[in-house]
Amino acid sequence: MEVTITQTEQSMTAKLVGRLDTPSSQEVSQKLEPLMENADKELILDCTEMSYISSSGLRILLTLRKQAAAKGGKVVILNINDEIRQVFMMTGFLNLFEIKNA
Amino acid sequence: MFVKTKAFMESKLVLDNDIQQIPQLAEFIDGIAEQAGLDMSVSMSLNLAMEEAVSNVMLYAYPQGSKRQVQIDATVQDGTIKFVISDSGIPFDPTAKQDANIDLSVEDRPIGGLGIYMVKQIMDTVNYEYKDGKNILTLTKSIK
Repeated sequence: MEVTITQTEQSMTAKLVGRLDTPSSQEVSQKLEPLMENADKELILDCTEMSYISSSGLRILLTLRKQAAAKGGKVVILNINDEIRQVFMMTGFLNLFEIKNA
Repeated sequence: MFVKTKAFMESKLVLDNDIQQIPQLAEFIDGIAEQAGLDMSVSMSLNLAMEEAVSNVMLYAYPQGSKRQVQIDATVQDGTIKFVISDSGIPFDPTAKQDANIDLSVEDRPIGGLGIYMVKQIMDTVNYEYKDGKNILTLTKSIK
């Protein structure tokens, strides 16, 4: 999975491209370390080109979300596809995240 | 147009207990889904359930660093798809785990436990048995 991070003064955005599955999760977790460190800001996960997510990816999202809750920041998820929305629904993640679809 | 669908189909895949082989599993499932004429969303759900069940075996069934195998047998018959996942690792029943509570708040939600929960949500039946020194997990789903 490709991860590209950009930032402004108030927010940090990570664009996730590809599959967030078990084999890719460890690397993705490391690449998202800057977001963990900036969890007092607005964290934006751009999932426009994310094709798939499994429980190991959900763990990463929830860890970020917990960190943001503890530090006073927030997590916004941009553009998830129908299959990923289904996974979010199945796991109650729809209620835990602010999700914006363009 | 006349479309002939296969009434019976059987395939087998053997993987090492190496998480980097998960893409081969995805390819295997996609192949079966295509032959069985399943739509994209069912195919994706099956992929997810199987990734969760098989990666669980790869990560936890054997001592770290040992090179062992996990076998996946897939059967499509009478409108049902069946996967049998077997390994000769330590006895472990993933179905015994209590279901995740998905209504908890951000603060109270545990980080883990969603993998097997999703397997149960996606599949119609999930059965575990330990037989002849093997963990055997059988998953079925109606695809009619």
